[in-house]
Parts: sequence; structure tokens; C-alpha cells
Amino acid sequence: MADELTYEAATARLEAIIKRLDSGEAGVRETLELVREGRALVEFCAAELDAVGRGLQELRLEELVARLEA
Amino acid sequence: MAPSRPQPRPEGIAGSPHAGPFPVGLYAAKLREELRKRARVQLFGEAFGFRAGRAKVFFELRDAGGALPCSMWRDAFEALNLGGDLADGTQVVAAGGPDFYPGSRTSSPAFSFAVGELRVAGEGDLLAQLEALRRGLAAEGLFAPQARLPRPALPRCIGVVCAEGSKAREDVLAGLRRRGWAGRVVWAFAPVQDRRAAPAVTRALQDLAAAPEVEVVVVARGGGSLADLFCFCDETLCRTVALLRVPVIASVGHHTDRTLLDDVAAVSCSTPTHAAEAAVPLHCAQARAAVHDAGARLAGHARRAVLDRARHLAHLSRAPGAHVARERRRLHQGLREVRASASRRAREERVALGERADGLARRAAAASGPGADAHRSRLEGFAAALAAHDPERVLARGFAVVEERAGGGIIAGAGEARAARALRVRFADGAVDATVDGPGG
Repeated sequence: MADELTYEAATARLEAIIKRLDSGEAGVRETLELVREGRALVEFCAAELDAVGRGLQELRLEELVARLEA
Repeated sequence: MAPSRPQPRPEGIAGSPHAGPFPVGLYAAKLREELRKRARVQLFGEAFGFRAGRAKVFFELRDAGGALPCSMWRDAFEALNLGGDLADGTQVVAAGGPDFYPGSRTSSPAFSFAVGELRVAGEGDLLAQLEALRRGLAAEGLFAPQARLPRPALPRCIGVVCAEGSKAREDVLAGLRRRGWAGRVVWAFAPVQDRRAAPAVTRALQDLAAAPEVEVVVVARGGGSLADLFCFCDETLCRTVALLRVPVIASVGHHTDRTLLDDVAAVSCSTPTHAAEAAVPLHCAQARAAVHDAGARLAGHARRAVLDRARHLAHLSRAPGAHVARERRRLHQGLREVRASASRRAREERVALGERADGLARRAAAASGPGADAHRSRLEGFAAALAAHDPERVLARGFAVVEERAGGGIIAGAGEARAARALRVRFADGAVDATVDGPGG
């Protein structure tokens, strides 16, 4: 899916949000909306990192192919 | 070393038509002698697998029809000033003849073509073929598609093509560990040398790319000669890689060996460890710290967004009250000043009135002093004197007062009486009017 969120897109947006918040130019409504969006991105990034931090899982190609064909 | 003892000659093979048995060392020495008798010739082919020993250098001379192991005295080779070793695929002309090292009980025999003279003939056929293919693929634009593929910063699943049990596999794992990455690895083990390698690697890559969860593929192999790596210059393999949906990271051979796979792949790395690091561009521990930091900063902004504004609002809401309190204080102060001023003024008035009262009292006291009786007697004397001269008392004694009737003025002489004519004569018991008739007698 072309619109699927990627880790790099999430971190790029997160950086932009924090930059905007750090500028102090955002009003209270915008600040709270940016914080809500940022929190969702942080949760997404943390989940992505968790997915590659639970322990190495090794699989042979034949097993993967068999699983796909099953 | 223990001295060799002559072995007793064993019985030969019964019924064999061949002479012997002879000691093998004797035969080996004879073979060398026979080989050395052969004519010296010049051969040409491509040199591969060059290595330098202590006294000799060794390489293989190959062409499509066959190959020969070659050796050359090291000092003779260095005298050629070729600037190091012979790159694989270098086409050379070698002059010499066959030789045989007979070996011994403790060393292996070896056959070689003993090279006495050598000349580099030009670029080898293999390299020429490789360059032609490289130019063709480049002209078709097949080096670009992989480079254009987006590479995930944090893939969940990585495919790896390498030889099973190879050092490359361990290096890939070490690279992934260095990144702190512990996701899913799909191993596609394949031969990475000889004629079976290219089709097997091609198939493995196609199968890995067909799995939707595989986000990036690493092809890893340790160093080797160009001939060993030539399977990674296979045209079918390179065309397949160029059109794969997933980015391929190649680490084949050492950095000095550039295969066509390195050209078509998304990234070319010098070692399998680097290839693994390129597959996971992100350092996971650092990324975790960065995400945690971002979360903390967001929380700080959220807190400040509410608290700072609440503080500001509280400040604003306090302002009118503070203003009223300030005004109240000011009015109280004014009131106190007015009161102080009034009481000061009253005090001053009281003092002034007291002083005036004191003055009056003093004057009153002075007026009612011991001389008052004397004054009273004198006044009574004056009153008696005045009473004696009262005209009313004269009338009582029988005198009359003549007054002008019209004006009431006292007529004191006859002339005035004549002039007035109408007179009023007042007696003690009443008045009568009179008129002047004449001058009188």
C-alpha cells in the first residue's frame, strides 16, 4: 500500500512536529493537535522498534515458501 | 628426523604383465627427468589464482580448453616489474616446460609448468567479456532501477543469500547485532561458486522477492579470485536483480573485486558486515533513545501548553481584583489623611477658641474687679445731676415751655414767638395752643 506509514516517514513527521512546537509559534489548539499526532507517531515508532527487538528469528527460505504456499 | 630405513621390496601382483614393483621415489625422480626432457615451449592463456611463496610464485594458466598449474622463481618474476601480482584474467604468454617435484615421505609431490619467461599479453578474455556485458547493461539503464528503490530504515524482515555455514553468514549476523537489530532473517542458502551458483542465486533472489514480508535482500560472499566470483557477473542473474521489487545489497568478494552484481545492486558493500549494516541503516538502540526523547519532549510541550496558559489566565483573572484592592488601599489612605487633617484642624480650632475664651475670661475678671463700686457711685451722682436739670422737673415747679406748634421747636424769645405766631404752651399737666396777637405790653 502506497500510503502505508513507514518508520522513516513517521520520524520525519515527528521531527517536523517537534520543530514546530519548539518554535513556540503554535497556538494552544494546534499544540494539542500536534502533540496528539506526535504521540501516535511515537507509539508507531516504538512498536516498529519493538518488532525488531524481541530476538532474532531465523527462517529458511524453503520454510517461508512452504508457509506462503500453505 | 628419524633416518629412513630401506624398505624390503614386496612381492609384485601375481599375474601382472607390468614390470616392478619399483620404489615410488625412484619412479617420481625418473618422471621428473622424463618431463624435463620435453621441449621448451611458449603457452598463452589467462592467469588466475596468483600467489607468492617464499622462493616461487604460483598461478594457473587457463583457457576454454584446459589449464595448467604454473610456477616461476620469485626473483625472476619480480625482475619483470609487473608492479605486484598478476590480476585474475590477465592474459599472458609463458615460456618454459613441464616439471615435477617428486615430493618425499613428508611432502606432497607437485606438477607444474615451470615458467622461465613471462610476458603480459593484454586484457584477458574474461575481463573483456565482463566489460562488454557491463557496457551493455549500463546502456539498457539496468544499473538505475535498484538504486531508485526506497530502502526501509528499519526493515522487519531481511532476506540473505549466502553459502550455508559460510563466514559470510556469520559476518552478516555480526553486522545485524552491531545495529542492535533482532528481527526476522530468511536464509536462502545457495552455492556461491562454480557453474551452479548463478542459477541458484537467481532463483533464491526471485523467491525472496516473492515473499511480501521480505523488505531487503543481502547477497554475501567472501573474497575470491575473479574466476570464483564470475558467477556474480552472470547476465541472467544481473538482469533479474535489476528488476526485483526489493533492494539488493551486494557484498561479493573484496573491495578490489567489482562484479556486475555490484553494479546492478542498490548498494555495493566491501564486506558482509557492512552489507548487514546497510540493510538496517538505523542503529536500533539510538533510535529507541531518540523516540523516547521525542515522547518526553511532546509530553513537555503538552504540559506547558496547558499549564503556561492556565498560569497566564490566572494572572489575568487576578488583575481586576488586584486593581480594586489597589484602589481600596488608595481610598483608605485618602480617608485616613482626611480624618487626620480634620482632627488636626479641630484641635487647632479648639486651641484657638480656648485662647480666646481665656482672653475673655481674663477681661471679664478684670471687669468685675474691686473698682466697680466706686464707678457705680460716680454714675449715680451723674444721674442725680442730670435729673436736676430735667425740664420736666421745671414744669412741675410751675414753669411752662413754649414750643412752635408746627415744628415742635422750643421758642426761647419773643421774637421767635412773633415769628411763629402759632404756639403751643406746655405745662406740667398738659399743653394749650396759643396765638400771638401782638407785641404785648
